[in-house]
Amino acid sequence: MTRWGMVIDLDRCVGCNACTVACKIENGTPPDHYWARVYTEESGTYPEVKTTYVPVLCNHCEDAPCVTVCPTGASYQREDGIVLVDQDKCIGCRFCMMACPYANRFFLRKGVLEAGYHGERTAFEDAKWSAFTEGTVTKCTFCAHRVDDGLEPACVVTCPTEARIFGDLEDPESKPSTLIRERNGKQPLEELGTNPSVYYVQGR
Amino acid sequence: MATRTEERSTTASDRWVPSACKMCLHGCGILVRIENGVVTKIEGDPSNPDNMGKLCPKGNVGMLRLYDPRRVKAPMVRTNPEKGPGVDPGWKEIGWDEAMDLVTEKLKPIRESDPRKLLVASGDFQRIFNWAWPAAFGSPHFFSTVGQYCGAAYHPINGITDTSFAVVNDYRYCNYWLQIGSGDGFSSHLHLSGSALRMADARMRGMRVVTVEPRMSPAAAKADEWVPIRPGTDRAFILGLMHSLVFEHGLYDREFLRDRTNAPYLVGPDGHYALDTDGKALVFDGTLGAVRAWDAPDPGEIVLEGRYDVGGLECATGFQLFLDILADHAPERMEEVCTVPATTMRRLAHELGEAACIGETIELDGKTYPFRPAAVNYYRGAIAHQGGGEDSMALKMVNTLLGNIDVPGGHLGVPLDIRGFFIEPDEHGMLKPQAHILHPPVPFKFPADSLQMMEWFPLGMDAGHIAVDAVLNPERYQLDYTPEVLLTYHSNPVWNMPAQEKVRQAIATFDYVISIDVVVNETTEWADLILPDHTYLESTVAFMCEPPAVRGLVLRQAVIEPLHDTRDATEILIEIAERCGFLDVWNGFLTFLLGLGEREELALAPDRTYTNDEIMDRFCRACYDDEHGLEWFREHGHMVREKTPAEAYLPYDGLRIPFYYEVIKVAGDRLREQFEETGYAWDTSNYVPLPSWHNGPIHGEQPDYPLYAITFKTAETNFAENMSIPMIERITAGAAQTRGVLLNPRTAAALGLADGDPIEVVSRFGRVEGDVALSEGIHPDVVAVSNALGGRNGGKGRKCTHFNTLLPAELEYTDNFSGALESVARVRIEKPTKEVAA
Repeated sequence: MTRWGMVIDLDRCVGCNACTVACKIENGTPPDHYWARVYTEESGTYPEVKTTYVPVLCNHCEDAPCVTVCPTGASYQREDGIVLVDQDKCIGCRFCMMACPYANRFFLRKGVLEAGYHGERTAFEDAKWSAFTEGTVTKCTFCAHRVDDGLEPACVVTCPTEARIFGDLEDPESKPSTLIRERNGKQPLEELGTNPSVYYVQGR
Repeated sequence: MATRTEERSTTASDRWVPSACKMCLHGCGILVRIENGVVTKIEGDPSNPDNMGKLCPKGNVGMLRLYDPRRVKAPMVRTNPEKGPGVDPGWKEIGWDEAMDLVTEKLKPIRESDPRKLLVASGDFQRIFNWAWPAAFGSPHFFSTVGQYCGAAYHPINGITDTSFAVVNDYRYCNYWLQIGSGDGFSSHLHLSGSALRMADARMRGMRVVTVEPRMSPAAAKADEWVPIRPGTDRAFILGLMHSLVFEHGLYDREFLRDRTNAPYLVGPDGHYALDTDGKALVFDGTLGAVRAWDAPDPGEIVLEGRYDVGGLECATGFQLFLDILADHAPERMEEVCTVPATTMRRLAHELGEAACIGETIELDGKTYPFRPAAVNYYRGAIAHQGGGEDSMALKMVNTLLGNIDVPGGHLGVPLDIRGFFIEPDEHGMLKPQAHILHPPVPFKFPADSLQMMEWFPLGMDAGHIAVDAVLNPERYQLDYTPEVLLTYHSNPVWNMPAQEKVRQAIATFDYVISIDVVVNETTEWADLILPDHTYLESTVAFMCEPPAVRGLVLRQAVIEPLHDTRDATEILIEIAERCGFLDVWNGFLTFLLGLGEREELALAPDRTYTNDEIMDRFCRACYDDEHGLEWFREHGHMVREKTPAEAYLPYDGLRIPFYYEVIKVAGDRLREQFEETGYAWDTSNYVPLPSWHNGPIHGEQPDYPLYAITFKTAETNFAENMSIPMIERITAGAAQTRGVLLNPRTAAALGLADGDPIEVVSRFGRVEGDVALSEGIHPDVVAVSNALGGRNGGKGRKCTHFNTLLPAELEYTDNFSGALESVARVRIEKPTKEVAA
């Protein structure tokens, strides 16, 4: 059985936000819903300073707290590990947002879709936003619609530095499995035991 | 798993069309998805080796410009005669015939009486042939920015050195990359998407990166070492580093300097080459023990250093003159200027010199080249200064010292376009310099015709800000006419010029302002008439712009029918030419500019009105052959391929390049003589053949303006057309480097400021408001302002911290050789006055 996963190479990432934007366009996510995004972490004191760009997205945890707490079954996990929200079943209770340790879920407030980015809807927004229902929760889908077509997620395809590597974690020879093995991949907040499908590598 | 979008099926209602991006000037290959007539996605074209399927954040949002509600949807004429920032022009839509009648009514009399009364501001790099349209009209002006605070000092030095326009280190073979004031490979400048991948691959194979700049940019964050520096002092740093390379480590390529540059040519007391009676440059032959012509038959070994008597005059080699200057630039003295510790300069000099592998060679495609895998890369931050020519020269010369110019691993010239390098020998065995790649040099004239005084910059670029000064102070330049009409074409001078208030005052003096643009912006607000252009997704042009690693044309093509009543800018300009009676001249220009003249059947007939598609078809066929016309490109997208080693490395092998910039000294001396004949005072002090450190207007103690303000670009906004796209604005508003005015916490504490505090940044030339954003990644002398903070269109509550307002538009702050404007402002920080806070 396939289990889709991603490795993020922090050495390669230059924090350009191409992933942030490609995700928003591919999925037509509403304003301020950043399924993919990049944090800039600064540490140290001038001039001994270190800056790290940390791209994040839903970790598609094997033991996903958001799925466990969902009272309606709207949040569910596919056999290939991808965690999704069925918007028809979502009642907007936001238990999942409280349960997610990674803040990777977004609530779609009333009126957001109507106003669009400009106060009036554009043809692009008309074409893309019909997938969403106000009053529900949205999240990264690992671009399941693309993956099912045999394509990599939008954030992976666009990444100028190839910092995002997507593939099957069950296949020991896949690119992510190899990177996790060879460069000691780490899961975010692995101590929580959610077993994320997203790994980070740093140092070569 | 497939990564290639093109493998997806195409149906009539869901298609992918190949094209080129125009969210910056460089034109990465893209595939555009059109679902039910709506552009829903743009991805990098994986078949294009330029960007290899990658696309930066700007390229991803291209359709948001297409569908932007602020598009100009039809020609619009102003109904409110009152003009000013925030004053509603009362736009009224009109038909194209009426609009073109209005244009003709204004421009035809000017064309017939004194065409200098038309000013044009153009910023459309992909349709760069249209930059010549004003010249066909008879107007010599450039009322915009093209380089005065990015590449003005960079392009002429590149062109003089090896006929390139831009330059970047060799991603493939470089092992030690010293980056100074540039975002190449990380966040900005040449072909970001492909360069970021090439850079990431190079870093992962172990290339060391050291980044020198005042702010911890992405280039510094990803570097093995960040070296903070005081703004505007990069030349001091590199002179100190060269001092250590030459005098302390002895790590420089004597063979390269001797055999491939003019470093051994003898220079007389006047700073010009010493010549023999046949007018040939001279060298000292160590074997013969005598001075001889550079190309004498049966030569012995040329000597690099020394002073020699030539006909009773003491002459020195160019290299000797360099050593004499360098001796005075020890790292300790330079440390006082640039704040980089002398020990750091020495260590970096040693690392760089060792990594250069001086003496080693590499064989590629059966040819042996020098192998110099260490190089210094630089751009705007290092050279956009009042002493920019010398900055650019010094940064070029450190590479020449290492023997790495245009060799594997080194510092590689990047041509402007599909033409590549311009390889022609001069009379001294050198590659003929090409200071002017954007347009031919303009002969000296006094008074000048052009408002940017191009006649007084024999080697520099159009310093558009001088046009602002000239419009406001015509007597200072002895103008004998008054400009009347401004035509802006994909240019936003109110936004992109320095001294915003002066630009507004200048624009207010014009009788009529016409704008060809896609959206309403800070400049169209002053227009009397707007002629709406198609967006890049609705229009067609074949081009290639500053490609670091590839060659060949890419086609940007209309992927959908125009959404609104817009027209292609090229066709608008053709119709104006026709209506104003100079179509024959313009067709002749286009034939020359697009290289159509080499095949008679492709040349444009003088009296025919061509469509843009017809012209592009001829251009494609002229570049390739009749099989590769516009239709071929529409289907296949591009002819882009990797450069071959023969194209990338020493394509001018056998010709020398400058180390001693005699051509600059000669041009400056000639200009001074020309001005002496007029009696007009014009400073030529920046025309020097070798760089040295001396304070400019922003250096030294300035108690009223203790800090240095710099601006910077990010991947989301560099070279961009998308800053006012709300999706991008919201992302930059939340990002650490672009959420406010960056200050070092210690500097802020000394001023009693905390994160988020409202402030005003005050220079001699302007005042802007902003909010403090603290960062340890900032030199304590510095105030850093992203260009993402400048927008006012569509902003979401953020203050407009328009950096350019802090800059001067004055001669005293302009490099009189290159036209570069000082782009660092000395500033102080004030707490807001009540009026501003309100």
